[in-house]
Amino acid sequence: MNALSLPPLVAALALSGVWALPRAAQAETGKLLLTGGVSTVSGPAGGGMVPWAVIGTQATEGEAGVTAHATRVGTLDYALKSYGATVGVHDRVEVSVARQDFDAGAAVALNAIAPFGVEPGARLKMDIVGVKVKLLGDAILEAHTLIPQVAVGVEHKRLHAGSLGNVLDFLGTDRSGTDLYVSASKLLLDKGLLLTGTLRYTRANQNGLLGFGAAGPGRDGYSLQPEISVAYLLRRDLAIGAEYRFKPDNLRALGEAAGLGNGLQEDDWKDVFIAWAPHKSLSLTLAYVDLGRIVPGITRNKRQTGWYVSAQAGF
Amino acid sequence: MAPSTALLRTAAVLLTATLGACAQAPTQPLSSSSPSSSSPPQPAAAPRQPIPGGPVAAGLRGPAPAGLYQALGEQEGIARLMDDLVERAVKDPRIGPIFQESFKQTKPQALKDSLTAQICVLAGGPCEYDGVDMQSAHMNMKIDKSHFNALVELLQDAMDARRIPFTQQNRLLALLAPMHRDIITVR
Repeated sequence: MNALSLPPLVAALALSGVWALPRAAQAETGKLLLTGGVSTVSGPAGGGMVPWAVIGTQATEGEAGVTAHATRVGTLDYALKSYGATVGVHDRVEVSVARQDFDAGAAVALNAIAPFGVEPGARLKMDIVGVKVKLLGDAILEAHTLIPQVAVGVEHKRLHAGSLGNVLDFLGTDRSGTDLYVSASKLLLDKGLLLTGTLRYTRANQNGLLGFGAAGPGRDGYSLQPEISVAYLLRRDLAIGAEYRFKPDNLRALGEAAGLGNGLQEDDWKDVFIAWAPHKSLSLTLAYVDLGRIVPGITRNKRQTGWYVSAQAGF
Repeated sequence: MAPSTALLRTAAVLLTATLGACAQAPTQPLSSSSPSSSSPPQPAAAPRQPIPGGPVAAGLRGPAPAGLYQALGEQEGIARLMDDLVERAVKDPRIGPIFQESFKQTKPQALKDSLTAQICVLAGGPCEYDGVDMQSAHMNMKIDKSHFNALVELLQDAMDARRIPFTQQNRLLALLAPMHRDIITVR
């Protein structure tokens, strides 16, 4: 089981949560249901793929909490598994770790373009460490103002390319990168509507799974990418929502210059989700995702649509 | 980029910028130890004067949401709701001790009556609230955010039990949630 490859970090995080517990024997679940969001595919709390300004876990002020998540995204030609853990301390600081395992078997077709040495069933793995700090506001209780909760975050990502190393070298992409983001979330409580806008400063390709930056004439530098997440509460324990995440498309110009047409184009990510929290320490999320085209040159130019399933448990 | 995508991108940037700009606007102090937002800054030595009854003491900030009073079952429905809420709160392991302690000052029935009048006023009903303001009422208690949220949950349970629709529940909670500034004493 791959989940066993992260235990030291997860254990350290869990311990740091335990140290912060002011009341040892009691579960730290002072947040209202679902107001800590769910684990995004990269780890930070939010919707399915857009971080919110809320601090993850059910712990509120004066408390600390730990959650663990497991997520699977399956699209037409690819599959992504993600698992990790999140610690929330005093509703102020969130630390998350996630390991992504991307089934890039379709990339074996790249060997027809050049002798890249991509092995059948090739996988990309990526480790993501995230820190989010709430700066101001209270997204949930400040119902009489429009002032949102605002948080800043950082996601450091390290990619393990496996047999796709030559491909990434050809693309000129770095194996690690750091995203910075600022997020603002506001619950319109009387309408049961939670709005989030996040601005990400990034040079990641496909969230980092295709590395960071690009060889010329692709874009090697950072760009600002907005992300939107809207959630509507049907019940205390049930929310539906939609997300839209803009992406940089750094590799496209490189693909065109290499005679691959739009073969390296990257599209925006979209999803609609439903999240259910049958208990304070458990939430389940189901989403239909449209990740757009991912290396369309080897996937018949198809949009990568499919299902996202995620479970999160709190401790 | 397709025109619709460009439009969406513009909307996203505007949303984020607007939320961010709202956040930077100089507004009420965020610290719970500050005086209530409506009162002018006072010298530290001067004790804060309780607001003795009336809609301001009840926490009224504007016109009540249309139809909320009826949705809560009017005065009788609100009285039953508050009766149920206090009974649930007393039994709750998280906040029961705080209520038990408060009963040394205020009898349970008096608390229920006061809460009923307060909710009635906030919901737009023809009631008069003669209790003190929320900051004065809680200043001698040790209440943190998890206690506050626990009471919100019990109120949701009580409203569920009376089959008050979720959308109406949220309209009432939106009137009560901002009181966290005055009720929470431990940050």
